[in-house]
Amino acid sequence: MARRTVNCCLVGLSPLLFFAIGSAVAAPITFNTALPVAKEEFLFRQQFINMQSGDDPSGAQRDRSENMSATTLAYGINNRLALFGVLPYRDIDLSMDMGSGKVSRSNSGLGDISVFARYIFQQNNQAGRTLRLAAFAGLKAPTGEDEASDSIGTLPPPLQLGSGSWDAFGGLVVTRQTLDYQLDAQLSYRINNEANHFEAGNVLRLDASLQKRIWPRELGSGVPGFVYAVLELNATSQEKNALNGTNDNNSGGTRILLAPGLQYVTRRWIAETAVQFPVSQNLNGTALELDTIARAGIRFNF
Amino acid sequence: MKITNLKNILFKSTRLILASTLTSAALVWSSASFAGGTEYDLRVDGLACPFCAYGIEKKFTKTKGVESVEVDLKNGLVIVKTDESKTFKEEELKTIVHDAGFTMKSMTEKAR
Repeated sequence: MARRTVNCCLVGLSPLLFFAIGSAVAAPITFNTALPVAKEEFLFRQQFINMQSGDDPSGAQRDRSENMSATTLAYGINNRLALFGVLPYRDIDLSMDMGSGKVSRSNSGLGDISVFARYIFQQNNQAGRTLRLAAFAGLKAPTGEDEASDSIGTLPPPLQLGSGSWDAFGGLVVTRQTLDYQLDAQLSYRINNEANHFEAGNVLRLDASLQKRIWPRELGSGVPGFVYAVLELNATSQEKNALNGTNDNNSGGTRILLAPGLQYVTRRWIAETAVQFPVSQNLNGTALELDTIARAGIRFNF
Repeated sequence: MKITNLKNILFKSTRLILASTLTSAALVWSSASFAGGTEYDLRVDGLACPFCAYGIEKKFTKTKGVESVEVDLKNGLVIVKTDESKTFKEEELKTIVHDAGFTMKSMTEKAR
Protein backbone atom coordinates (compact mmCIF):
# COMPACT_ATOMS: atom_id res chain seq x y z
CA MET A 1 0.00 0.00 0.00
CA ALA A 2 2.80 2.37 0.97
CA ARG A 3 4.70 1.49 -2.23
CA ARG A 4 1.59 2.25 -4.28
CA THR A 5 1.19 5.64 -2.59
CA VAL A 6 4.80 6.49 -3.32
CA ASN A 7 4.47 5.62 -7.00
CA CYS A 8 1.21 7.51 -7.36
CA CYS A 9 2.71 10.68 -5.88
CA LEU A 10 5.88 10.32 -7.92
CA VAL A 11 4.03 9.85 -11.19
CA GLY A 12 2.45 13.22 -10.46
CA LEU A 13 5.92 14.69 -10.84
CA SER A 14 6.42 13.52 -14.37
CA PRO A 15 5.58 16.83 -16.13
CA LEU A 16 8.81 18.12 -14.67
CA LEU A 17 10.75 15.38 -16.39
CA PHE A 18 9.50 16.32 -19.82
CA PHE A 19 9.71 20.01 -19.17
CA ALA A 20 13.40 19.59 -18.45
CA ILE A 21 14.13 17.56 -21.57
CA GLY A 22 12.19 19.90 -23.79
CA SER A 23 13.99 22.89 -22.43
CA ALA A 24 17.35 21.30 -22.96
CA VAL A 25 16.84 21.48 -26.72
CA ALA A 26 17.69 25.12 -26.56
CA ALA A 27 19.44 27.89 -28.39
CA PRO A 28 19.08 31.40 -26.86
CA ILE A 29 18.85 30.40 -23.20
CA THR A 30 15.73 28.40 -22.51
CA PHE A 31 14.55 27.10 -25.88
CA ASN A 32 15.43 26.17 -29.41
CA THR A 33 15.58 28.91 -32.02
CA ALA A 34 16.71 29.66 -35.56
CA LEU A 35 20.28 30.41 -34.61
CA PRO A 36 22.24 30.32 -37.85
CA VAL A 37 24.56 27.37 -38.25
CA ALA A 38 26.69 28.01 -41.31
CA LYS A 39 27.22 25.40 -44.01
CA GLU A 40 29.73 22.72 -42.94
CA GLU A 41 30.32 24.40 -39.58
CA PHE A 42 29.85 23.11 -36.05
CA LEU A 43 28.30 24.79 -33.07
CA PHE A 44 28.76 23.47 -29.54
CA ARG A 45 26.71 24.39 -26.53
CA GLN A 46 27.09 23.32 -22.92
CA GLN A 47 24.46 24.22 -20.39
CA PHE A 48 24.12 23.48 -16.69
CA ILE A 49 20.60 23.43 -15.32
CA ASN A 50 19.31 23.25 -11.76
CA MET A 51 15.62 22.59 -11.29
CA GLN A 52 13.85 22.83 -7.94
CA SER A 53 10.31 21.74 -7.10
CA GLY A 54 9.00 21.76 -3.59
CA ASP A 55 5.55 23.30 -3.48
CA ASP A 56 3.53 20.14 -2.90
CA PRO A 57 -0.27 20.38 -2.77
CA SER A 58 -0.55 16.68 -1.81
CA GLY A 59 0.76 17.24 1.72
CA ALA A 60 3.45 14.59 1.23
CA GLN A 61 6.13 17.30 1.35
CA ARG A 62 7.65 16.10 -1.89
CA ASP A 63 10.86 17.89 -2.68
CA ARG A 64 12.55 17.26 -6.01
CA SER A 65 15.79 18.66 -7.34
CA GLU A 66 17.60 17.92 -10.55
CA ASN A 67 20.99 18.99 -11.84
CA MET A 68 21.47 18.52 -15.52
CA SER A 69 24.35 18.99 -17.90
CA ALA A 70 23.02 19.36 -21.43
CA THR A 71 25.52 19.12 -24.28
CA THR A 72 24.34 20.25 -27.69
CA LEU A 73 26.17 19.85 -30.98
CA ALA A 74 24.89 21.33 -34.23
CA TYR A 75 26.17 20.92 -37.77
CA GLY A 76 25.15 22.81 -40.88
CA ILE A 77 24.50 20.48 -43.81
CA ASN A 78 23.99 23.58 -45.94
CA ASN A 79 22.95 27.15 -45.26
CA ARG A 80 19.32 26.07 -44.68
CA LEU A 81 19.46 22.60 -43.16
CA ALA A 82 21.13 21.91 -39.81
CA LEU A 83 21.29 18.83 -37.59
CA PHE A 84 21.27 19.01 -33.81
CA GLY A 85 21.98 16.49 -31.09
CA VAL A 86 21.40 16.96 -27.36
CA LEU A 87 22.94 14.71 -24.74
CA PRO A 88 21.79 15.24 -21.14
CA TYR A 89 23.51 14.02 -18.01
CA ARG A 90 21.04 13.99 -15.14
CA ASP A 91 21.32 13.87 -11.37
CA ILE A 92 17.91 13.63 -9.70
CA ASP A 93 17.00 13.66 -5.99
CA LEU A 94 13.57 13.28 -4.52
CA SER A 95 12.44 13.21 -0.92
CA MET A 96 8.98 12.86 0.52
CA ASP A 97 7.27 12.30 3.84
CA MET A 98 5.90 8.77 4.14
CA GLY A 99 4.32 9.27 7.56
CA SER A 100 6.97 7.12 9.22
CA GLY A 101 9.66 9.56 8.14
CA LYS A 102 11.27 11.18 5.17
CA VAL A 103 12.25 8.91 2.27
CA SER A 104 14.91 10.04 -0.18
CA ARG A 105 15.63 8.45 -3.54
CA SER A 106 18.04 9.46 -6.25
CA ASN A 107 19.42 8.51 -9.63
CA SER A 108 22.08 9.87 -11.95
CA GLY A 109 23.58 9.15 -15.36
CA LEU A 110 23.13 9.79 -19.06
CA GLY A 111 19.60 10.60 -20.12
CA ASP A 112 17.73 10.27 -23.39
CA ILE A 113 19.43 11.71 -26.46
CA SER A 114 17.42 14.02 -28.71
CA VAL A 115 18.26 14.53 -32.36
CA PHE A 116 16.48 16.87 -34.71
CA ALA A 117 16.76 18.62 -38.02
CA ARG A 118 15.90 22.23 -38.69
CA TYR A 119 15.16 23.67 -42.09
CA ILE A 120 15.06 27.42 -42.71
CA PHE A 121 12.34 27.83 -45.32
CA GLN A 122 12.24 31.60 -45.35
CA GLN A 123 15.08 34.02 -44.86
CA ASN A 124 15.09 37.74 -45.46
CA ASN A 125 18.41 39.51 -44.92
CA GLN A 126 18.62 43.29 -44.81
CA ALA A 127 21.32 45.69 -43.70
CA GLY A 128 22.01 44.94 -40.02
CA ARG A 129 18.99 42.70 -39.63
CA THR A 130 17.57 39.34 -40.56
CA LEU A 131 14.31 37.42 -40.40
CA ARG A 132 14.30 33.66 -40.41
CA LEU A 133 11.45 31.17 -40.37
CA ALA A 134 12.26 27.54 -39.80
CA ALA A 135 10.61 24.20 -39.15
CA PHE A 136 12.14 21.48 -37.05
CA ALA A 137 11.37 17.85 -36.30
CA GLY A 138 13.14 15.25 -34.28
CA LEU A 139 13.17 12.20 -32.10
CA LYS A 140 14.06 11.48 -28.52
CA ALA A 141 15.74 8.09 -28.32
CA PRO A 142 15.46 5.89 -25.21
CA THR A 143 19.19 5.92 -24.43
CA GLY A 144 18.81 6.66 -20.73
CA GLU A 145 18.22 3.90 -18.22
CA ASP A 146 14.50 3.45 -17.72
CA GLU A 147 14.28 0.51 -15.31
CA ALA A 148 16.66 1.57 -12.56
CA SER A 149 15.91 0.51 -9.01
CA ASP A 150 17.09 1.14 -5.47
CA SER A 151 16.66 -0.64 -2.15
CA ILE A 152 12.97 0.25 -2.12
CA GLY A 153 12.29 -1.13 -5.58
CA THR A 154 12.03 0.04 -9.16
CA LEU A 155 12.24 3.80 -9.41
CA PRO A 156 9.14 5.57 -10.71
CA PRO A 157 9.27 7.40 -14.10
CA PRO A 158 10.27 10.84 -12.71
CA LEU A 159 13.37 9.31 -11.17
CA GLN A 160 14.34 7.32 -14.23
CA LEU A 161 16.99 8.85 -16.45
CA GLY A 162 15.11 7.92 -19.59
CA SER A 163 11.51 7.34 -20.50
CA GLY A 164 12.14 4.09 -22.36
CA SER A 165 10.12 5.35 -25.31
CA TRP A 166 10.83 6.84 -28.70
CA ASP A 167 9.12 10.22 -28.73
CA ALA A 168 8.66 12.62 -31.62
CA PHE A 169 8.55 16.39 -31.62
CA GLY A 170 8.36 19.19 -34.12
CA GLY A 171 7.46 22.81 -34.53
CA LEU A 172 8.11 26.19 -36.02
CA VAL A 173 10.56 28.85 -34.96
CA VAL A 174 10.93 32.45 -36.03
CA THR A 175 13.86 34.78 -35.40
CA ARG A 176 13.99 38.52 -35.93
CA GLN A 177 17.47 39.86 -35.29
CA THR A 178 18.80 43.39 -35.56
CA LEU A 179 21.92 45.04 -34.23
CA ASP A 180 19.90 46.33 -31.25
CA TYR A 181 17.72 43.36 -30.32
CA GLN A 182 16.71 39.81 -31.16
CA LEU A 183 13.27 38.30 -30.90
CA ASP A 184 12.69 34.55 -31.12
CA ALA A 185 9.48 32.58 -30.83
CA GLN A 186 8.91 28.88 -31.02
CA LEU A 187 5.77 26.74 -31.15
CA SER A 188 6.27 23.03 -30.71
CA TYR A 189 4.42 19.81 -30.04
CA ARG A 190 5.79 16.64 -28.55
CA ILE A 191 4.18 13.20 -28.84
CA ASN A 192 5.18 10.94 -25.97
CA ASN A 193 4.82 7.20 -26.30
CA GLU A 194 4.28 4.37 -23.82
CA ALA A 195 7.06 2.38 -22.22
CA ASN A 196 7.09 0.27 -19.07
CA HIS A 197 3.30 0.73 -18.76
CA PHE A 198 3.74 4.49 -18.45
CA GLU A 199 2.95 7.13 -21.03
CA ALA A 200 3.64 10.79 -20.35
CA GLY A 201 1.12 13.26 -21.69
CA ASN A 202 1.83 15.03 -24.96
CA VAL A 203 3.21 18.56 -24.59
CA LEU A 204 2.37 21.76 -26.42
CA ARG A 205 4.89 24.57 -25.90
CA LEU A 206 5.09 28.21 -26.77
CA ASP A 207 8.38 29.95 -26.06
CA ALA A 208 9.48 33.49 -26.71
CA SER A 209 12.71 35.36 -26.08
CA LEU A 210 13.63 39.02 -26.31
CA GLN A 211 17.31 39.95 -26.19
CA LYS A 212 18.10 43.65 -25.99
CA ARG A 213 21.65 44.93 -26.43
CA ILE A 214 22.59 46.97 -23.38
CA TRP A 215 26.34 47.25 -24.05
CA PRO A 216 27.90 48.85 -25.98
CA ARG A 217 25.17 51.46 -26.17
CA GLU A 218 26.58 52.93 -29.35
CA LEU A 219 28.17 50.70 -31.93
CA GLY A 220 31.65 51.57 -33.10
CA SER A 221 33.62 49.96 -35.86
CA GLY A 222 34.73 46.36 -35.91
CA VAL A 223 33.12 43.55 -33.92
CA PRO A 224 32.78 44.43 -30.23
CA GLY A 225 31.37 41.99 -27.67
CA PHE A 226 27.68 42.51 -26.94
CA VAL A 227 25.89 42.27 -23.60
CA TYR A 228 22.22 41.44 -23.96
CA ALA A 229 19.53 41.73 -21.31
CA VAL A 230 17.22 38.80 -21.88
CA LEU A 231 13.60 38.13 -21.02
CA GLU A 232 12.09 34.81 -21.99
CA LEU A 233 8.69 33.25 -21.62
CA ASN A 234 7.90 29.54 -21.60
CA ALA A 235 4.32 28.34 -21.70
CA THR A 236 3.61 24.60 -21.62
CA SER A 237 0.44 22.60 -21.68
CA GLN A 238 0.72 18.91 -20.99
CA GLU A 239 -1.95 16.25 -21.22
CA LYS A 240 -2.44 13.80 -18.38
CA ASN A 241 -0.07 10.87 -18.06
CA ALA A 242 -1.34 7.35 -18.34
CA LEU A 243 -0.33 4.49 -16.05
CA ASN A 244 -1.33 1.02 -17.25
CA GLY A 245 -3.63 2.71 -19.74
CA THR A 246 -5.43 4.79 -17.11
CA ASN A 247 -5.14 8.56 -16.96
CA ASP A 248 -3.41 9.95 -13.89
CA ASN A 249 -5.56 12.80 -12.62
CA ASN A 250 -2.62 14.19 -10.68
CA SER A 251 -0.60 14.99 -13.74
CA GLY A 252 -0.56 17.41 -16.62
CA GLY A 253 -1.74 20.99 -16.73
CA THR A 254 -0.36 24.32 -17.84
CA ARG A 255 2.62 26.36 -16.72
CA ILE A 256 3.86 29.80 -17.64
CA LEU A 257 7.40 30.76 -16.70
CA LEU A 258 9.27 34.03 -17.04
CA ALA A 259 13.05 34.07 -17.26
CA PRO A 260 15.18 37.17 -16.92
CA GLY A 261 18.75 36.59 -18.00
CA LEU A 262 22.00 37.93 -19.39
CA GLN A 263 24.13 37.02 -22.38
CA TYR A 264 27.64 38.06 -23.30
CA VAL A 265 28.17 37.52 -26.99
CA THR A 266 31.58 37.56 -28.70
CA ARG A 267 32.69 36.36 -32.12
CA ARG A 268 33.74 32.91 -30.90
CA TRP A 269 31.66 32.25 -27.82
CA ILE A 270 28.58 33.18 -25.85
CA ALA A 271 28.16 33.01 -22.07
CA GLU A 272 24.61 33.05 -20.78
CA THR A 273 22.54 32.67 -17.66
CA ALA A 274 18.88 32.89 -16.76
CA VAL A 275 16.50 31.92 -13.97
CA GLN A 276 13.01 30.75 -14.82
CA PHE A 277 10.25 31.64 -12.34
CA PRO A 278 6.69 30.36 -12.55
CA VAL A 279 4.09 33.10 -12.95
CA SER A 280 1.20 30.69 -13.40
CA GLN A 281 0.82 26.98 -12.68
CA ASN A 282 -2.55 25.46 -13.33
CA LEU A 283 -1.81 21.80 -12.74
CA ASN A 284 -4.17 18.87 -12.39
CA GLY A 285 -4.80 17.35 -8.96
CA THR A 286 -1.76 17.19 -6.74
CA ALA A 287 0.88 17.49 -9.46
CA LEU A 288 4.01 18.97 -7.94
CA GLU A 289 4.61 22.64 -8.68
CA LEU A 290 7.87 24.00 -10.01
CA ASP A 291 9.88 26.50 -7.95
CA THR A 292 12.74 27.62 -10.18
CA ILE A 293 14.99 26.55 -13.02
CA ALA A 294 18.44 28.14 -13.08
CA ARG A 295 20.59 27.91 -16.19
CA ALA A 296 24.15 28.83 -17.04
CA GLY A 297 26.02 27.89 -20.15
CA ILE A 298 28.46 28.60 -22.91
CA ARG A 299 28.29 28.28 -26.67
CA PHE A 300 31.18 27.94 -29.10
CA ASN A 301 31.37 28.46 -32.80
CA PHE A 302 34.13 26.28 -34.26
CA MET B 1 94.80 68.02 -39.32
CA LYS B 2 93.87 64.76 -37.70
CA ILE B 3 90.71 66.32 -36.32
CA THR B 4 89.72 67.60 -39.77
CA ASN B 5 90.22 64.12 -41.28
CA LEU B 6 88.16 62.57 -38.53
CA LYS B 7 85.37 65.08 -39.17
CA ASN B 8 85.44 64.23 -42.88
CA ILE B 9 85.28 60.53 -42.20
CA LEU B 10 82.39 61.01 -39.79
CA PHE B 11 80.57 63.26 -42.26
CA LYS B 12 81.00 60.76 -45.11
CA SER B 13 79.96 57.84 -42.90
CA THR B 14 76.84 59.70 -41.79
CA ARG B 15 75.92 60.47 -45.40
CA LEU B 16 76.49 56.85 -46.34
CA ILE B 17 74.31 55.54 -43.50
CA LEU B 18 71.61 58.07 -44.32
CA ALA B 19 71.66 57.15 -47.98
CA SER B 20 71.52 53.43 -47.17
CA THR B 21 68.63 53.95 -44.80
CA LEU B 22 66.70 55.97 -47.35
CA THR B 23 67.40 53.41 -50.05
CA SER B 24 66.23 50.57 -47.78
CA ALA B 25 63.10 52.49 -46.82
CA ALA B 26 62.36 53.17 -50.46
CA LEU B 27 62.83 49.50 -51.30
CA VAL B 28 60.54 48.43 -48.44
CA TRP B 29 57.90 50.98 -49.48
CA SER B 30 58.25 49.89 -53.08
CA SER B 31 57.85 46.20 -52.31
CA ALA B 32 54.86 46.94 -50.05
CA SER B 33 53.22 49.04 -52.72
CA PHE B 34 53.58 46.39 -55.34
CA ALA B 35 52.99 43.35 -53.13
CA GLY B 36 50.07 42.31 -55.30
CA GLY B 37 46.84 41.01 -53.89
CA THR B 38 43.43 42.54 -53.81
CA GLU B 39 41.10 44.08 -51.27
CA TYR B 40 37.42 43.25 -51.60
CA ASP B 41 34.91 45.42 -49.74
CA LEU B 42 31.63 43.55 -49.44
CA ARG B 43 28.27 44.96 -48.38
CA VAL B 44 26.61 42.08 -46.53
CA ASP B 45 23.01 41.95 -45.35
CA GLY B 46 21.93 39.94 -42.31
CA LEU B 47 25.00 40.56 -40.12
CA ALA B 48 23.44 41.44 -36.78
CA CYS B 49 25.63 40.12 -33.96
CA PRO B 50 29.27 39.29 -33.17
CA PHE B 51 28.54 35.56 -33.23
CA CYS B 52 27.34 35.92 -36.85
CA ALA B 53 30.51 37.77 -37.80
CA TYR B 54 32.73 34.83 -36.91
CA GLY B 55 30.81 32.54 -39.25
CA ILE B 56 31.59 34.68 -42.26
CA GLU B 57 35.17 35.34 -41.16
CA LYS B 58 35.79 31.63 -40.91
CA LYS B 59 34.34 30.93 -44.34
CA PHE B 60 36.79 33.35 -45.90
CA THR B 61 39.84 32.45 -43.86
CA LYS B 62 39.41 28.82 -44.97
CA THR B 63 39.96 29.96 -48.55
CA LYS B 64 43.55 29.65 -49.75
CA GLY B 65 45.13 32.99 -50.55
CA VAL B 66 43.00 35.04 -48.15
CA GLU B 67 45.32 37.04 -45.89
CA SER B 68 42.80 38.76 -43.64
CA VAL B 69 39.12 39.34 -43.04
CA GLU B 70 37.68 42.28 -41.15
CA VAL B 71 34.04 42.73 -40.27
CA ASP B 72 32.40 46.06 -39.50
CA LEU B 73 29.04 45.14 -37.97
CA LYS B 74 27.67 48.66 -37.78
CA ASN B 75 28.09 49.25 -41.49
CA GLY B 76 27.50 45.67 -42.64
CA LEU B 77 30.91 45.65 -44.25
CA VAL B 78 33.26 42.69 -44.75
CA ILE B 79 36.77 43.51 -45.96
CA VAL B 80 38.67 40.59 -47.47
CA LYS B 81 42.33 40.95 -48.36
CA THR B 82 44.04 38.39 -50.57
CA ASP B 83 47.60 37.79 -51.65
CA GLU B 84 48.67 37.89 -55.29
CA SER B 85 47.83 34.20 -55.76
CA LYS B 86 44.12 34.69 -55.19
CA THR B 87 41.43 36.62 -57.00
CA PHE B 88 37.71 36.27 -56.42
CA LYS B 89 34.95 36.48 -58.95
CA GLU B 90 31.77 38.13 -57.74
CA GLU B 91 29.78 34.91 -57.92
CA GLU B 92 32.36 33.13 -55.78
CA LEU B 93 32.10 35.83 -53.13
CA LYS B 94 28.31 35.64 -53.20
CA THR B 95 28.43 31.87 -52.71
CA ILE B 96 30.75 32.09 -49.72
CA VAL B 97 28.59 34.76 -48.09
CA HIS B 98 25.46 32.74 -48.87
CA ASP B 99 26.94 29.57 -47.35
CA ALA B 100 27.62 31.51 -44.18
CA GLY B 101 23.90 32.40 -44.04
CA PHE B 102 24.01 35.98 -45.32
CA THR B 103 23.40 37.95 -48.50
CA MET B 104 26.03 39.91 -50.42
CA LYS B 105 24.49 43.10 -51.78
CA SER B 106 27.44 44.67 -53.53
CA MET B 107 31.22 44.63 -53.71
CA THR B 108 34.14 46.77 -54.75
CA GLU B 109 37.66 45.58 -55.38
CA LYS B 110 40.96 47.38 -55.54
CA ALA B 111 44.58 46.42 -55.91
CA ARG B 112 46.60 46.58 -52.73
